[in-house]
Amino acid sequence: MLLVEVLVQHLASRVYQADSVSAVQELYHSNGWTDGLPIVPPTEDAVRACLDWVMMPPDQLIGVEPVRGLAITAEKLAINAVMAGCLPMHFPVVVTAWTAMMQEPFLLHGATASTGGCAILVVINGPIRREIGASGTFNALGNSDRATSVIGRAIRLCLINLLEARPGAIDRSTLGHPGKFSFCVAEDEEDTSWKSLSEQRGLPREASAVTVMAAGAPRQIMNEWTTRPEEILETFAADIRANLRHYSIHPGNYAMIIPKQLREHLQNARWSKSDIADFIWKRARIKRGEWAEVGKGAVVRDKADKVYPALESVDHLLVVAAGGPAGGFGAVIPPWLGNRSRAVTLPIGACVDCEPPKK
Amino acid sequence: MTFRVLDPTAGETATTGQRAPRLATLEGKTVGFISNGKVGTKGFFAHLEKILREEYGVAKVVSRTKSNYSAPADAHIVAEIKQWDAVVSGIGD
Repeated sequence: MLLVEVLVQHLASRVYQADSVSAVQELYHSNGWTDGLPIVPPTEDAVRACLDWVMMPPDQLIGVEPVRGLAITAEKLAINAVMAGCLPMHFPVVVTAWTAMMQEPFLLHGATASTGGCAILVVINGPIRREIGASGTFNALGNSDRATSVIGRAIRLCLINLLEARPGAIDRSTLGHPGKFSFCVAEDEEDTSWKSLSEQRGLPREASAVTVMAAGAPRQIMNEWTTRPEEILETFAADIRANLRHYSIHPGNYAMIIPKQLREHLQNARWSKSDIADFIWKRARIKRGEWAEVGKGAVVRDKADKVYPALESVDHLLVVAAGGPAGGFGAVIPPWLGNRSRAVTLPIGACVDCEPPKK
Repeated sequence: MTFRVLDPTAGETATTGQRAPRLATLEGKTVGFISNGKVGTKGFFAHLEKILREEYGVAKVVSRTKSNYSAPADAHIVAEIKQWDAVVSGIGD
């Protein structure tokens, strides 16, 4: 008989015992380990199932938070993902999103600590969307489906528990916004002729991918009274101009969510995502002097005629095809603090730019 | 039914640096201020400088401001720190 010894690495996390589901809830709530909603008990079996799915040992280093030097391991992400309601098949998205968030240009510490109160917008692209049942149609920015709900929530629980981004602790948000519970959207790639967001940002179409962006709350627009691309996009541009006036003048990554009704007008006129970005680049800009019209005259100083574009360059616009089939709506998702934080896109479970192993 | 559940926090994490030895006195010392550049820091640091000089005998105060108020201090500021005896890193809004 062949004996196969399987070496199972121990989990490093401390184990607590609780006598009932409600005792588990009280243990986690009273320690400040939740977002205020009930959690799924993170048992060793459930956590190991997530780790097995991504074929990672518990101590696999996912990354190091650049400012405080905190090492983030697969085990800790898995515990929080289980708590959020993730199944093992959702876990690769959580791992890749966190890998992306820890890239230096994302400015994770600033984005999670700031009084500006942003959330992490997660956009999922590629085949994994269908495998996990992530939907980019009805209610795309809300509770559209199980997968995006629990993945977005996992991102927040990890922030709370691994970076101590609790309200009043590291998280100093003045207001925050509802996206801080969960803010994840899958692009509706089956119902558009456009390139996917990750393809637009340089990845192969067949790769599953995650894009993360430090994002303010969505601002909904409506224009059901035209089919002309210039008029539809002018409404989006006007909303971005409003954000430049009312919120922040800094240029940065803006996301535009374009549902099917408006999308079809643009596609029928053969406008690509690049064409949209060119239009927004030209139209979404204000003069600093406009701040005087909205009560901010004190900071106009001698720069009234200086022009401030919303985008640093055309490739900073993130256009996402998502939303239910009817309704002339769209959404602008503004950046947390302009270009201080940059959106990051990474493939899931693949290394696109890796060098071949050295001989 | 008993649940065995896991700690979701980072727990005890190793620190990446060591604390500098504490100063026995501020008398005659050089103190650096690192401001995040927001308007609220101006009054705070001006007042703090006055207290440090008048009440604690600090000899010199060096004020520096980060170029990005949401990011760590710039490398040239961090490089300067070793010339100071103490640092006050302040966040204001």
